[in-house]
Amino acid sequence: MSILVIAEHDNAVLKAATLNTITAATQLGSDIAILVAGHGCGAVAEAAAKVVGVKKVLLADAPYYAHQLAENVAALVVGLAGGYTHILAPATAAGKNMLPRVAALLDVAQISDIVKVESVNTFVRPIYAGNVLATVQSKDPVKVITVRGTAFPAATATGGFAVVETVAPAADAGVSSFVGQQLTKSDRPELTAARTIVSGGRGMGNGENFKLLEDVADKLGAAVGASRAAVDAGFVPNDYQVGQTGKVVAPDLYIAVGISGAIQHLAGMKDSKVIVAINKDEEAPIFQVADYGLVADLFAAVPEMSKELDKLKAA
Amino acid sequence: MKILVAVKRVVDYNVKVRAKADGTGVETANVKMSMNPFDEIAVEEAVRLQEAGKAKEIVAVSLGVAACQDTIRTALAMGADRGILVETDAELQPLAVAKLLKAVVEKEKPDLVILGKQAIDDDANQTGQMLAALLGWPQGTFASKVDIDAGAINVTREIDGGLETVALKSPAVVTTDLRLNEPRFVKLPNIMKAKKKPLDVLKPADLGVDVAPRLITLKVQEPPKRQAGIKVDTVAALVDKLRNEAHVI
Amino acid sequence: MTAYTAPTRDMQFVINDLAGMAEVAALPAFAEQDVGPELVEAVLEEAAKLASEVLAPLNHSGDVQGVKIGPQGVIPADGFARAYRKFVEGGWNGIGCSTEHGGQGLPELINTATQEMWNSANMSFALCPLLNAGAIEAISRVGSEQQKALYLPKMVSGEWTGTMNLTESQAGSDLSAVRTRAVPENDHYRIFGQKIFITWGEHDMTENTIHLVLARTPDAPEGVRGISLFIVPKFLVNPDGSLGARNDVHAVSIEHKMGIHASPTCVMAFGDKDGAVGYLVGAENKGLAYMFIMMNEARFKVGLQGLAIGERAYQAAREYAKDRVQGRPVGVKSGDRVTIIHHPDVRRMLMSMKALNEAMRGLAYVVAMNMDLARHHPDPATRQRHQARVDLLIPVVKGWSSEIGIEVASLGVQAHGGMGYIEETGTCQHLRDSRITTIYEGTTGIQAADLAGRKLNMDQGAAMGALIAEIGATVEALGRGVGDDLAAIRAGLAEGVQALAEATDWMLGASNPADAMAVSVDYMMLAGFVCGGWQMARAALVAQGKLMHHDKLRVGDDPLFLEAKLITARFYAEHILPKAGALLRSVRSGGVSILALAEEQF
Repeated sequence: MSILVIAEHDNAVLKAATLNTITAATQLGSDIAILVAGHGCGAVAEAAAKVVGVKKVLLADAPYYAHQLAENVAALVVGLAGGYTHILAPATAAGKNMLPRVAALLDVAQISDIVKVESVNTFVRPIYAGNVLATVQSKDPVKVITVRGTAFPAATATGGFAVVETVAPAADAGVSSFVGQQLTKSDRPELTAARTIVSGGRGMGNGENFKLLEDVADKLGAAVGASRAAVDAGFVPNDYQVGQTGKVVAPDLYIAVGISGAIQHLAGMKDSKVIVAINKDEEAPIFQVADYGLVADLFAAVPEMSKELDKLKAA
Repeated sequence: MKILVAVKRVVDYNVKVRAKADGTGVETANVKMSMNPFDEIAVEEAVRLQEAGKAKEIVAVSLGVAACQDTIRTALAMGADRGILVETDAELQPLAVAKLLKAVVEKEKPDLVILGKQAIDDDANQTGQMLAALLGWPQGTFASKVDIDAGAINVTREIDGGLETVALKSPAVVTTDLRLNEPRFVKLPNIMKAKKKPLDVLKPADLGVDVAPRLITLKVQEPPKRQAGIKVDTVAALVDKLRNEAHVI
Repeated sequence: MTAYTAPTRDMQFVINDLAGMAEVAALPAFAEQDVGPELVEAVLEEAAKLASEVLAPLNHSGDVQGVKIGPQGVIPADGFARAYRKFVEGGWNGIGCSTEHGGQGLPELINTATQEMWNSANMSFALCPLLNAGAIEAISRVGSEQQKALYLPKMVSGEWTGTMNLTESQAGSDLSAVRTRAVPENDHYRIFGQKIFITWGEHDMTENTIHLVLARTPDAPEGVRGISLFIVPKFLVNPDGSLGARNDVHAVSIEHKMGIHASPTCVMAFGDKDGAVGYLVGAENKGLAYMFIMMNEARFKVGLQGLAIGERAYQAAREYAKDRVQGRPVGVKSGDRVTIIHHPDVRRMLMSMKALNEAMRGLAYVVAMNMDLARHHPDPATRQRHQARVDLLIPVVKGWSSEIGIEVASLGVQAHGGMGYIEETGTCQHLRDSRITTIYEGTTGIQAADLAGRKLNMDQGAAMGALIAEIGATVEALGRGVGDDLAAIRAGLAEGVQALAEATDWMLGASNPADAMAVSVDYMMLAGFVCGGWQMARAALVAQGKLMHHDKLRVGDDPLFLEAKLITARFYAEHILPKAGALLRSVRSGGVSILALAEEQF
C-alpha cells in the first residue's frame, strides 16, 4: 500500500486535521507521503516531515497554489497519483472542495468522510446526517478518501524524520482566481452551529456567575447555553435557551453545569455526541444521559476546569 | 445566460431514517420524499438570477426513477422554465451522476450549472466538483453568495473559519451552502402553471454513459447507542477523559 | 412541543380513494385545472410546507404572547403579519374561490385538506381566513355586481380580510334579539350599535377589513324576519378601488379567553360618532338567510377544526409515547425500561385518537366531495341529491367533530401523563384551543337542534333514510369481504346503523318536541359515530382491495399504511361504535328525567 495524504495548511502552519488524516493513513499502510502544495510553504513541509509515520514530503510551490484553488491543486494531485493506492485528504472545506475533482479525473469513486478503516478497501462512513453508518467497499484501483478528523486521533506532530522532496508544479489552469477572504474573529460561535456548548442552569445562582462558564467556553471555543430555568430566572437572555422550546442542539460536546435535566431540556440536547454533567445533586436526572458525570459544587469545579484547560494549552 | 440546475429526490429531511433490520440499506420504501434542501437553494438562486435579469433560461435536471418528475415539477413551480429527467432505476453514485450531467451539459450548453453542495441522503458532497472536473470548468463550492457581472462569476464560499471569494471564468459550476438564500414557498398558481411546462425524459443509454456503481455497500447499521455513562471523581479526571477518551477537546 | 407534519399520505388516501377525486375531477367545472392525483400531491405538499414551517412555529408563541389592543387598534402576536403575508403571496387564500375573482377554483375537496392543515398548524391564525371565506361566499352569492367587483378581488387574494358581525351582548345564539340599527342615508346606511365576539374584528395585517354586519332598518319587523345584512368596510372604498376615509367602526376591547389567544376576539363599536357607513347586501330583512350562507361555510370549517386539533394532539402524543421511557412491559419484572408506547393503556389512547381523527377526516372530506357535486354537477337532480346530503351532515360535522376534537385533545394531555398538564409541553394549548369549537358558530345544542329538528323534519327523514340505506349497502359489501377484520367491522357497523335507524324513527315519532330536543345531542352524536364508522369501514374495504391486488398498488400505496387502515377501522368498530348502542338507549329514554326537576331543585 502506498498512500498520499494531502496536507491542509495556510502556507505557514500545518493544520491539525492533517494529523488525524495521517492516523487514518497509518491504518492502511506504512508507505505514507504527504503533499504540501502552496506558495512559500517551506515551513509547512518541514513541519510535515516531523510527523511520526510520514515517509516522504512532496513540496510543490507555485504562486497559483497559494490559495488552494481546487482546479490547480487537483491537476497537481492527478499528475502525482501514479503509484499510489490511496489518496487521502481531511474532510475539511478545503479537502471536500478539491478531492472529488481528483477522483473524477482518475475515473474513480470518492469515499467521503470516513470514520473507520475496516481494511485497505473497506471503510465506514456516516450517511443520512449520521443517523446511519454505511460500510462500503471500493472496487477502484485507487481509493480516493476524505477523512473525518474527529474519528481518528491526531498523529504525533514531532519526532519523525521524513525527507522533503520538491516536485514540479502542474500548469496553472487559469480558470479561477482568488479574490479575498474574510476570516471570522474568535467570538463565541452560534449555539446551533457550535461544536461545543457549555450550558448553565438554575444552579448557577445568578447571571453574574455565568462568567464562570464564559471563561471555560472561550477556552474551548464553545458557545454558552442555558436551561429554561436559568432563562426564566432572568440569569441570561432568551436566545441562550436550549431545550424543547428553545434551541435544539447536537454538538460534539455538551457540558451541562448546574442543570438538573428536565425532560424539556433533555429534548433539546440529547443528540449531542458527548454529554458532561456537573451537578452537586447526584440524583439529578441529567446524570442518566451524561457520558461523564461529576458530582461536585460547580463553583469549585468550573474554575478548576478552567485551570486544567490552561494546563492542556500550555502542554 | 442559461442556467442548468440539478435537483435530487431524497428522503425528506424530517424523516427519521432507520437502517433495515438486515443491514442492506435504509428503510426508504414508502417514506416521504422531497427535493434535496441544498438543491432547493440551487433552484432559488437560479430563479433569483433570472429575476435580476442575469439569466434567460433555467433548465432543471433530475436523475433517477420516474418519480423524480415530481421533484422537477417542484423546481418548475419555483420558477425553472423546463425540465429534463434522466430516467433509470439503477443506483446512481456521484461519479455516474456527474458523467450523466456532463452529457446533458454538452447537449444544453449552459453557462452556469448550480447544484446543492451535497445530498442529505448519501452526504457525499462530490457531484458538483466531479462535474466541474469532467468538464474542465472552474468551481465555486459551498457558495454563500454569487455575483454575476458581465460574464465574470464571483462566488463567496464558506470555508473553515470564515469566507473566501473566488472569481470564476464562465462557464462554471457552483454548489450551494445553506446561507446562500432562503428558498421561496411555492405559490399555488405556480403549481398549476408548472404542470404545463415542458419536461423531457432521457435514458442513460441515450447519453452513452456507463453508470455502474464503483462502491459496494456491504452493510448499513445504526450507530451504537449511547453507552451507560460513568462518574468521574475529579475535574482533572474529567478533562483527561474528554481529551484522551472522547477526543472532544 | 412537537412540530406539525401534515398527514399528507392519509389526506391523499381520503381524497383520492375514499371521497373519490376522480368523480370530482370529471366535473366540467374542473376540466381546466386537470385535477389528478399528481396535482393533489403537489398542492398538499406545498401547503404542508407553509403550514409546518411558517404557521406551526407561531402556534405556541402566539398562545403565550396573545394579542394586544392600544390606541392604534389591535396588534397581533409577533410573526403573524409576516406569516399572513406569506399565506397571501402563496395564493392560498383563494384556493377554492372562483377564478372570476382571482381564485384558483380548485375543488372544495382539495381546499378542505388545506384548511385542515392551517388549523392544525395554528388555529388562531387560520380563523382569519376562515371568516374571510364566509364573507366572500356571502358577497359572491347575494352581493350586487358592483359590490362583487369592488370587494371580492382583494378579499379573495387575502389582501383584505372579512369578518362576521352577528352577536350582541343581549343576543348570543338568539339572533331575533339583534338591536344594531341601520339608518338609510342616500345610497347607504348609517350603522349604530355594538357587536361582541368578533373574531379578527380588527388587526393591522391587511390594509382593510370588510365587516359583514347584521342590523335592523327603522321599520323592520320584529324578530329574525327584520334583520338585514350590511357591508361595513374599515376604510371606505372609492369606486376606483382605492381606500377612502376611516369608517366609524372600531374595536373597543378584546376578550381574555381560555384559548385561541392569538386570535383577537373583539368588541366592535359601530357609530360612536356619526354612524358607520354600511351598504345593504341583497334585500332588506333577508339578513338571516344570508347569514346562513356564511354560517354554513363556517360551521363546516369549525367541524374541521375539531379534526385539525385532534390531529395535532395525536402527533404530539405519538412522538412523546415513542420517546418517553418509563416502566417495563406488562409481566416483565426486570430488564430495560421501555418507551410508554409499549403500555396497553397508552396504546388504547393512541388508537382512540388515531381512529377518531381518521373517522372525522373521512366524514368531513366526503361531505366536501358532496359539496363539489352539489355545486357543479351538470344534472340538477344529482346536484339536489348531494345538496341534501350536505345539508343533513353539516350539523354532524360541526357538532360531532368539535366534541370529538376536544375528546382527542384531552386524550393527548392524558397520554403525556404529568407532563401533559404542564403548559410548556404544548398539549394544554390544544385542549384549551379546541374548547371553543363546540361553542362558536352555533353550540353543540344548536347543531343537534338543527339536525333533529330542522333537517330531520324538513323532509320527514328522507335524507337521513337515504344515508342509512347507503350505510346498509356498505354493511352488505363488508359481508362479501374476506377475513376477520372485515367481519368485525361489519358486525360493528351493522349494529351502529341499526341504532341510527331506530333512533331516527324515535326522533321522528316523538310526540313532544321538548322530549326530542332533550335527547337531540345524543342523537347527533350517535349519527356522528355511525357516519364516522361508515367512512372507516369504506376505507377498510378500499385498503383490503388494494392489499389483495398487490400488483395494482400505485406509487405511494404503502402496504403497512393500508394494513393500519384495516386495523384502525376494526378498532373503531370494536371500541368506538359500541357507543352508538348506548346513545340509542339514552335517546329512547326521552326527556323524562332530563326535564323532571323543578327549577328550585337545582
